[in-house]
Amino acid sequence: MRAWRRVTALARKDLLLEWRGRDALVPAASFGLAVLVVLGLVWGGSPEAAPPVLWLALLLASVLAMGRSAEREDEEGTLEVLVLYPGSREDLFWGRWLALCVLLLALGAGLWAAQVLLFNAPTRNSTTLLLVGLLVAVGLSAVGTLLAALLQHVRAGRLLLPLLFLPTTVPVLLAGVRLTEAATSGTPAGPWWGVLAAFDLLFLLVGPGLFEVAVEG
Amino acid sequence: MQPLDPVTAEGLGRRFGAVVALEDVSFRVREGSCLLLTGPNGSGKTTLLRILATALRPTRGRAWVCGHDVVSEGHRVREVCAYLGASSGVYGGLTGLENLQLAADLCGRPRERVPELVERVGLQPAAHRLVSTYSLGMRRRLALARLFLQGPQVLLLDEPFVGLDSEGARLVRELVSSVKEQGGAVVLATHDRDRAGGLYDAVAELQAGQLVQGPGLVAAGRI
Repeated sequence: MRAWRRVTALARKDLLLEWRGRDALVPAASFGLAVLVVLGLVWGGSPEAAPPVLWLALLLASVLAMGRSAEREDEEGTLEVLVLYPGSREDLFWGRWLALCVLLLALGAGLWAAQVLLFNAPTRNSTTLLLVGLLVAVGLSAVGTLLAALLQHVRAGRLLLPLLFLPTTVPVLLAGVRLTEAATSGTPAGPWWGVLAAFDLLFLLVGPGLFEVAVEG
Repeated sequence: MQPLDPVTAEGLGRRFGAVVALEDVSFRVREGSCLLLTGPNGSGKTTLLRILATALRPTRGRAWVCGHDVVSEGHRVREVCAYLGASSGVYGGLTGLENLQLAADLCGRPRERVPELVERVGLQPAAHRLVSTYSLGMRRRLALARLFLQGPQVLLLDEPFVGLDSEGARLVRELVSSVKEQGGAVVLATHDRDRAGGLYDAVAELQAGQLVQGPGLVAAGRI
């Protein structure tokens, strides 16, 4: 109960700061939209191109939102205060992860709406697409939260974050694309649900423990 | 055997690469007392406080806070200990009230106490303003309110008087006194001995990472 109170308080704090500052979502959404438009021009805006373009745009745009919470803590010198509160330091991971999940879901919803307009993409099986979006957001947030903490005190950490984040999340990108294609065309999804779920589970299991090590003095 | 004193350090040391920040520091602070930690810049005061607060691991020696080892039982230490460092550690994008509500949620205290504490530290008129509009002294007062909220058994203060006016300094004194009266212990690092006057029961001086006793200094129950 106490852990839940801590996690929700931390997530609420991150979302409130984002709402007031708009320094992660707005740049990420603008960049994602730019990627959609550019790739739409390159591939001619055909509906078949919509799934890879959507998830690639989300992946690239999410890089901009990943480290913002950690950067804020750095700028304000608040991380030390956070880690010295009573309670498990793993709660800090879950709080950041939850806030990032909400941000990525909002970002994904916006980009999905844009690609429907730009690519005339089919919108059937929206429940399945929502579930894919949720699992993608969960996985990307777990990796992003962990990497941002690991690189927080590393010189040039902001440059290293995308270099580590993009290759690590390739399974999420592939699963997102294949599952979206399967949902919109009605073809079998193959092993991709399992791949996506396993990826999420792995990072949700190892993330909190490694995060705790990363924030220790 | 677990030490019974609220704060005990034995042979504590910390290196940052080749730099020795703290070397073989041993002392104890008894119940209901305050240890004043002095020494020039870079003498290891902040490093010592951060180790006791579990923000930093020692590279040698051991320390206990309320009988809990600061390395192996850090989570228990954090239950009983509060630390105020050089940074106030408050969010500029939140209001004063929101910062304290967050603190209440994180340390498991009732949110109902927050308005009373805002008033106690004299920030009531600015409670609904973003902290980014606060002065340094107001931020420090907010940080003090967080310590009042935590109500620790062991209080670790690093230059708590910086940026505070006389009313703010009175709040520091009130906080230290309340911890002492409840049988807790305080370690106070400051260069401002005038403002700390009457608060401390013993003085320990650090020089180049080592605990020394200068003339006229009272040992803080050295082991």
